[in-house]
Amino acid sequence: MRSLSLNILILCCLPYYAIAENININVVDNANKALPDMVVYLQPEDDISLPFNEQIVEVGQFDRSFTPYISVMQLGNKVIFKNKDDITHHIYSPIGDNKFSFKINAGESQIKRDFQQTGEVAMGCNIHDWMSGYLLIVDTPLFGKTNENGMLDLPMPPAGKYQLIVWHPQLDATNNRVYQSIDLSEQKQVTIKIDNKILKISEQKNQEDFDFLSDY
Amino acid sequence: MLKIFTLTLLILVISSANSAEYKLHGVLDVRATSADTLKSYVNGGYGKFTSHNGANVSLAQAGGEVVVTWDIGLSAHVVANAYSDENDSVVGLTEAFLKYRTLPNESGYRWQTKMGIFYPEISLENNAYAWASRNTLNSSAINTWLGEEIRLLGGEVALTRLGKFNNNAFDITLAATAFINNDPAGALLSWHGWTIGNRQTLWTESKAIPDFRARMPGYDLNGQAAKSDPFLELDDKWGFHLRTKVKFHQKGQISAGYYDNKATPYMVENGQYGWRTRFYHFGLSWRLPAAFELSSQFLSGDTLMQSPFRTDVVNNDYKSAFIALSKRIKKHRLTIRLEEFSVTDNDLTIGDNNEEYGKSATLNYTYRLTKPVFLSLEYNWLDSHRPSRMYTEQAIDLTERQWQLAARYFF
Repeated sequence: MRSLSLNILILCCLPYYAIAENININVVDNANKALPDMVVYLQPEDDISLPFNEQIVEVGQFDRSFTPYISVMQLGNKVIFKNKDDITHHIYSPIGDNKFSFKINAGESQIKRDFQQTGEVAMGCNIHDWMSGYLLIVDTPLFGKTNENGMLDLPMPPAGKYQLIVWHPQLDATNNRVYQSIDLSEQKQVTIKIDNKILKISEQKNQEDFDFLSDY
Repeated sequence: MLKIFTLTLLILVISSANSAEYKLHGVLDVRATSADTLKSYVNGGYGKFTSHNGANVSLAQAGGEVVVTWDIGLSAHVVANAYSDENDSVVGLTEAFLKYRTLPNESGYRWQTKMGIFYPEISLENNAYAWASRNTLNSSAINTWLGEEIRLLGGEVALTRLGKFNNNAFDITLAATAFINNDPAGALLSWHGWTIGNRQTLWTESKAIPDFRARMPGYDLNGQAAKSDPFLELDDKWGFHLRTKVKFHQKGQISAGYYDNKATPYMVENGQYGWRTRFYHFGLSWRLPAAFELSSQFLSGDTLMQSPFRTDVVNNDYKSAFIALSKRIKKHRLTIRLEEFSVTDNDLTIGDNNEEYGKSATLNYTYRLTKPVFLSLEYNWLDSHRPSRMYTEQAIDLTERQWQLAARYFF
């Protein structure tokens, strides 16, 4: 229900976006194979002012892994960290301006609303070292993640020149990003081909299948 | 005892002063045993199993650990164990320590310190609650010995470099411990040899040593107390343990270390001698194709005990290794472990031959009945050559066997 009302809110906030008109983005590798789970965001190159994106991000811990592995949000918004396991997690990010750390007891949530900087937040759990998750904080309301077919629909923003940026924590490129300029007065469909490799994603899985280990 | 009391008090004071999370975990292990062996080493015999000859039912372990954690990264751990069989019933503490773990820094380096009474991190088997062995009912000879005679009262500092911060698929840990109160370690290994069991010596416990000629009046070891207390400090000298571990993500780990209790071998107090005991150890656990888990440990060292006149009374080298293979298929787990061990007696003390050579095989089948309840059937076979058994008119070459059926409940 909340997400519905949020969507309505978003629609109300974006009155000049033609309803149901989307820009369709397709991310593929150099063999034209769909690339899922890629963060895509659009930053205006012209002087275009865009409304704030109210989408609230939920970063879950479930089955001793970060779910989803990758999240994206606009700077200024809040994140809900939700521990869906029956054990305590100790979430942290040790790098950059968005350092944080807190424990979340089993079944509990913690809201964080004080991220100060855009950029990548690499997260871990200090109890379960194999856990790894990422949060990208962007300075635009136009963002999303590609689905299993490498597709992402974003609401069509005002016409103009934009920089389309593709990010993935394992994208083997400078700042893990690939950039492409697009002119949205002409295009409604964009295919972006990534020549860079996606490096191996380390599996968020405990090596032990025994539940009664004495640790920490 | 006073140290435990102080530590417990300290933990309670800290826990009342700060918001803390309490957890209680543990294991209950009830076994039916049928064994073809001698009187157990646990009670001063030459039998190599924790269990006694014949059929019996025992409370093989009732272990519990209380863990208090604070948000600042500090945790307090108190581990108690109880055992009860037809020969004795004991209860007491086996570990009590404070642990502090920092967050990793920007380069992925993390410090961890431990202070109190704890096991050196060597065993690849005893990582379940209260130091219970995970895949078998009885630990290997190496880890049975660690549970019996090796315990550290001191502080460990460990530095871990997490690979995920450095694009490496492995984490490296280096650790150093300074400890006291482990000066008589080596006595029980020398006098009853390598054993296979699940009994951990309680911090306040002392263990009966077997009968042998050199303990009789007029012989060199007549002054030795009837029970050895492995957790004593006799010379006020610090021992140390150094270790390293490389953990390969999703694959396994290798570890190595060196222990030296730095005991003065000619110190004696109330019949308890200092034993200069040193060993190095290696460990490997690896995930093989088809979900087979391989684990192996090797330990080799020496121990020296002298008379107050500084002549060697017991001077032994010892070695042991095992290799184990385990596989889980849904609720079923099958584990096989093969071992070899030896003690070489280098001294000329009359009536105290510590020579030993032996092999052992363990086969375990475990069925997970419900999430916390495991039913296990285990067979242990142990064949050894130990001349000291002649002191009690038992066979020098002996094969011991046992079957155990256990229900283990973890909470």
